[in-house]
Amino acid sequence: MHSTGYCQAVEKAGGIEVPRRARYIRTIILELERIQSHLLWLGIAAHIIGFDTVLMQAWRIREPVMWLCEKITGNRKLYGINVVGGVRRDIPKAMHPELMGVLGRIERETKAVLDAVVTDTTLLARLANVGVLPNKDAIAYSLLGPTARGSGVAIDIRVDHPYAAYGEVETNVMVETSEDIWARTVVRIKETLDSIRIIRDCLAMMPEGPIQAKITEPIPPGRIGQSSVEAPRGETHHYVITGEDNRPYRWKARAPTFQNLQGVPIMVLGETIADVPIALGSIDPCFSCTERLETVDVRSGEVKVYTKADLFRLCKERWSKR
Amino acid sequence: MFRAKFKEAVICFSNPRVTLPYPFGPGAELPEGFRGKITVDQTRCIACGGCANVCPSRLIRFYDEGERTRMEFILDRCTYCGRCAEVCPEHAITMTLEFENSTDHKEDLYIEQELYMATCARCGRCFETENAIDKIPVRRHREGRNFVGPSMPHGGPRARQRE
Repeated sequence: MHSTGYCQAVEKAGGIEVPRRARYIRTIILELERIQSHLLWLGIAAHIIGFDTVLMQAWRIREPVMWLCEKITGNRKLYGINVVGGVRRDIPKAMHPELMGVLGRIERETKAVLDAVVTDTTLLARLANVGVLPNKDAIAYSLLGPTARGSGVAIDIRVDHPYAAYGEVETNVMVETSEDIWARTVVRIKETLDSIRIIRDCLAMMPEGPIQAKITEPIPPGRIGQSSVEAPRGETHHYVITGEDNRPYRWKARAPTFQNLQGVPIMVLGETIADVPIALGSIDPCFSCTERLETVDVRSGEVKVYTKADLFRLCKERWSKR
Repeated sequence: MFRAKFKEAVICFSNPRVTLPYPFGPGAELPEGFRGKITVDQTRCIACGGCANVCPSRLIRFYDEGERTRMEFILDRCTYCGRCAEVCPEHAITMTLEFENSTDHKEDLYIEQELYMATCARCGRCFETENAIDKIPVRRHREGRNFVGPSMPHGGPRARQRE
């Protein structure tokens, strides 16, 4: 996900043309990532509300995707498949039947779980009309990804600004208008099923050819590249200024959780305490992605924001004591 | 409501236990291309430094010390990206299927090797490792350790003289 964003930013800065086959392979990996991320979220969300049956089943369905990723890229989570100018490993024809088989199994099992869960009144009572995020607030706070799409905002970088092979493969924006946590759940499940279809289309349409562009000259310094990728949680933006020796001079990534967290206060306004965890969980938060730390002294009300240098100094102090 | 619970029960019962007893029994089988801990084959290395050039966490270091080149692989920083194995022209670095690398001793994740650099007869500077020189097709005239048999179809210049 982030590696695709970074590589695309550098490719834009350096004017490198990525081969078509590489763009299709990137799309397949991105969609596999989306499937496993959404299934993981489904399990976690069910676990938060105490419905562990769905946790077990969602993660059981997810595991073959991880094994597939391990087979294609060499690791189940840290794929490391992207390099500037293409991808590192090919998806050979011999692997297609296995990929198709796993996809068919996931689709069948996800639909079975969905069919069972969708009429479960205990689950609906816990998710429907809880953590309501009105459409106008979702727009006002610039929320992203499934969080915004659950509130009827049809934004999806894959369709709005196509990258990789999304310009050629049909991509649907899943929008729900009921504005609650159940809507976000339905958006994610629909997206999982749509991702399976996208991968099938990609495998059918994948052209032959090289998987890496030949880069003969170093990337000139001082160029600016920006790219946006639709991560499972929302939009990820990468901004790169190239520097000397093929190394970046500046690199800034913005992960979607920072933006989505702004919507949580509205979701929990007037709700009971018991609904706070699932309201927070419904944006699929990744707190390490928010990257900022602010401390408030409750006695004096003093607010302090720690910078990188402060954190570095604190770490050094702490580790020198040991 | 009860129908939903019944369907959930059917899903749970029709899928038996899938969890593996991993630390106490065998885990899932690893695929062929798995990126585990690297191994370095000293007999193949030609000290070109390509791996040190691409390593994103800069854990591979080369020190040219006179007639020797010392190499350090500090694997406690390894991200298992496998770029070093990919760029190695001699396939000296390979990724094993070994993933249980947690340890109490840093030395377990440290590889150090030294290669003797052959000296150029003309200028006196180090110019190539013995491993690379072994591949130069004069093998026919070598005796002992490095002799691997003829490699050029018509032999080297001295062989022709003998004829």
